[in-house]
Amino acid sequence: MSFPDPITVFRLEAGELLEQIEAGLLDLGRNLDDRDLVDAVFRGLHTLKGSGAMFGFDALAAFTHHCETAFDQVRKGEVPATQELVAAVLEARDQMRLLVETPNGEHGAESERLLAVLHQAVKAAGGGEAAAPVDTPVKAGEQKKPAGRKRYTLLFRLPVNAMANGTNPLGLLDELRELGDCKVIADRASIPPLEKLVPTNLHVGWRVELVTERPRSDIDDVFIFVMDDMELSVSEEDLDTAPVVEVKPQVQPVAPAIAAAPAAAPVSKAEKAPVQDVRANARGQENVRVPAERLDELMDRVGELVIAQSRLYQLATSSVDIGLRAVSEDIERLSGELRDTMMVLRMVPITQLFGRFRRLIHDLARETGKQIELVTEGESTEVDKGVIERLADPLVHLVRNSCDHGLETAEERIAAGKSPVGRITLAARQSGGEVTITIVDDGRGIDRSRVRAKAESSGIITPNTQLSDQELLQLIFQPGFSTAAQVTNLSGRGVGMDVVKKSVEALRGTINVVSNPGAGSEVSLAIPLTLAIIDGLLVRVGSGRYVIPLAAVEECLELSIEEDLRSRGRSFISLRDSLVPFIRLRDLFLTGTKPDPFQKVVVISTGSERVGLVVDQIIGDHQTVIKSMSKLHQDVATFSGATILGDGNVALILDVAHLVAAGQHQEAHMRAAG
Amino acid sequence: MSARILTVDDSASIRLTTNVALSTAGYAVSEAVNGADGLAKAQAERFDLIVTDLNMPIMDGLTMIEELRKIPSQTGIPIIFLTTESDAALKTRAKNAGATGWLTKPFDPENLVKIVRKVLGK
Amino acid sequence: MNSAALKHNEEFWENREEIEVLIFDIAGETFALGAVMVQEILDMVPETPVPGSQPFVGSVINFRGKVIPLADIRLAFGMEPTRITIDSRIIVIAIDIDGEDTLVGIRTDKVNEVTTLAKANSEPPPSVGMRWRPDYIECLVKRGTDFIIVPNLTAIFSTNRERR
Repeated sequence: MSFPDPITVFRLEAGELLEQIEAGLLDLGRNLDDRDLVDAVFRGLHTLKGSGAMFGFDALAAFTHHCETAFDQVRKGEVPATQELVAAVLEARDQMRLLVETPNGEHGAESERLLAVLHQAVKAAGGGEAAAPVDTPVKAGEQKKPAGRKRYTLLFRLPVNAMANGTNPLGLLDELRELGDCKVIADRASIPPLEKLVPTNLHVGWRVELVTERPRSDIDDVFIFVMDDMELSVSEEDLDTAPVVEVKPQVQPVAPAIAAAPAAAPVSKAEKAPVQDVRANARGQENVRVPAERLDELMDRVGELVIAQSRLYQLATSSVDIGLRAVSEDIERLSGELRDTMMVLRMVPITQLFGRFRRLIHDLARETGKQIELVTEGESTEVDKGVIERLADPLVHLVRNSCDHGLETAEERIAAGKSPVGRITLAARQSGGEVTITIVDDGRGIDRSRVRAKAESSGIITPNTQLSDQELLQLIFQPGFSTAAQVTNLSGRGVGMDVVKKSVEALRGTINVVSNPGAGSEVSLAIPLTLAIIDGLLVRVGSGRYVIPLAAVEECLELSIEEDLRSRGRSFISLRDSLVPFIRLRDLFLTGTKPDPFQKVVVISTGSERVGLVVDQIIGDHQTVIKSMSKLHQDVATFSGATILGDGNVALILDVAHLVAAGQHQEAHMRAAG
Repeated sequence: MSARILTVDDSASIRLTTNVALSTAGYAVSEAVNGADGLAKAQAERFDLIVTDLNMPIMDGLTMIEELRKIPSQTGIPIIFLTTESDAALKTRAKNAGATGWLTKPFDPENLVKIVRKVLGK
Repeated sequence: MNSAALKHNEEFWENREEIEVLIFDIAGETFALGAVMVQEILDMVPETPVPGSQPFVGSVINFRGKVIPLADIRLAFGMEPTRITIDSRIIVIAIDIDGEDTLVGIRTDKVNEVTTLAKANSEPPPSVGMRWRPDYIECLVKRGTDFIIVPNLTAIFSTNRERR
């Protein structure tokens, strides 16, 4: 049996809960009166504590329990939510994350400190010392006031088949005894004569006198599973005042969503229902958690199926067997649908990613002393899980950059006639097979002269190089151009924009920047929706077949003999009115074969840059299941991966960004040489 | 000796959750993947309590409970069923089939343990 | 005595006196690889050259839906290329490359047998007087009048990978 490690499952769950708690707290920070948010945060803490204890994260459970106890005062309305309190719980949340990640670490002192801060915040908000923590906190609810002692008189008779169905009447009596002093008298009136007695049937009724301070609902809870089918009457007598008798011949079941059964510590239903809410929200409608690597395995199998299917298709089309053709068509349809479903399975809303930025902005605002608000758009846009993971770091860098360099201080903004609060907008939208993510700030914009000065001083361009505005802005993506690290320790963190650009290109994406002095900047990333399957254009160069990602293809044309001859020894062809640099792939790949008589040019582009690839033959569209290359081939930059063709052979996938850069470089080189 | 519990569910994650919660609480837990599997395991080995899903392939939980209750040796063994929503009709059917108690999914593992403790008694 | 080679030798034997290996031929020499790393032995399959790659991992093949590199260790040992014959086989092995479990196909002229080699018969490669780089060889094991070469694939793959 190979079950996932429960600890892993718990860690995943804890991660989600911590995200929910954080999101709730951040929202609460902006709307301190929102009771729903208070409840949501409380529920999250409660659930985290509960499952933490279950999975042996004792330090986490204890710490979270203290926080929950303190926060409970807010929930009960005894203390208003304040910014300090929210900040204290936020900090505590980070500590919880640590306690989840390194449960055995030395966190005691820090936990103590954070709890002290939290208690201070509660106190400052007008609350008392948080109640002394107990292991199983008994929640308020129906027990707000001590009810005073009561004497309950219960008359009950269980269904005749109760024992056969697994109910243990003695267990129920034990539970009643736990509630308080009990006097139990059996009612044996209905016991049949021995010869008619069925041993598994229950013929005994009971009369129980119970003196307790517990509420009536605790008694109902004892009978929860048999309530519908039993006879029960309860009368109660207040021992402090005159007796009030209430008789209910047939008690209505409470029908709780979760049958909360009090054993040692009663937990009221009012308390339990919200917990269920949290779980329901977290799981959506009947979600199943699957480890990512199993999805990857499934994706591999689907990929193989697609390949096998295309082999079948080739066989079928060259066959006269109608039956075979029909089956082949069915399989083609099914594998196509399966592939589409598979792709959808891998898609997750970008909310996950954007969610992290709210905290980042919160922290950045504190660190820089700037006032920053974050606006997010298109959070429901769905992107392949793998893409999301690899987008996180570049986006963090870009957002840090915008906050650090883009946005001005409140004073500067007021002086410039802007609102003192700087705004960062994170937006995502899908168009075709791409998702576009933009990071917009309404700050000071990119200072061109500074960029130029910086590029000149770091030797990226020679002084007085003629550059278009876009070319100038693109300089910030050059290796060696890192203003960040020196300016503050904030956005630096050792990476420059060139690393961001590389990460984006590794995702087969492109990055562009627009900036208006005084009004702000916009960086946009265009990323393919998935990394697993692309539409490709299959071409032949020499005897080898290669795939060009179709998204990058602008057009295909024939290289006329005249053009072919004319372009010998040159590195560009004229395409309508413009000159496009090109690469003869036969030369690049050293095929050593004779060129086909009619060479074809596939024009590919990234952003505004184009390059033509000369190939021998264009074979056609190809659904390409992308396979990564091993580390033994990671030094080969020309290819971004490989795929398996219908005949089982491997074709390599061209790395568009690399080839365009190579073409541009070659062009610049030729131009310089005159 | 710790009480033996059989958990019957077609969902591995629910089985895992149940198993972890009950094992942590000190019970000896076995698993079955559907009603038919559960029926066979319950007869092969004496359990003190059975926790079962209702909606399962091959044999659903209702049928399994009915079949179990027909077997004299299985009379009186507490059976707790898991139900997805508080479907009153389904709950009644399960009780009529001979179930002892129930728990609504998604459930808090803590609660499962409480209910198991309650049903098993001391 | 080459101390680095000696260390390789010890790692290979892992304190065991005997080790199970797969014996194969390349360019007239007899080689052996630990049987535990062998995944599968394939007949020759169509290969796809990877332009611009290191010559000794110059192509890739389709192995059960995965694209894996095909290595020709002849080139690491500076041996003459041999023609593909009816006996040619590809041994697919699993090897750790930079912490990543990687499948690699090894081109061989002939796969002979699985057998057991005794540590007592092994010796580290001589540091002088050999045609090949000593660090590419884990150890030599004497069998009859011949020596079986146990190549150090980790060394071969990492050195060639870093040499750009």
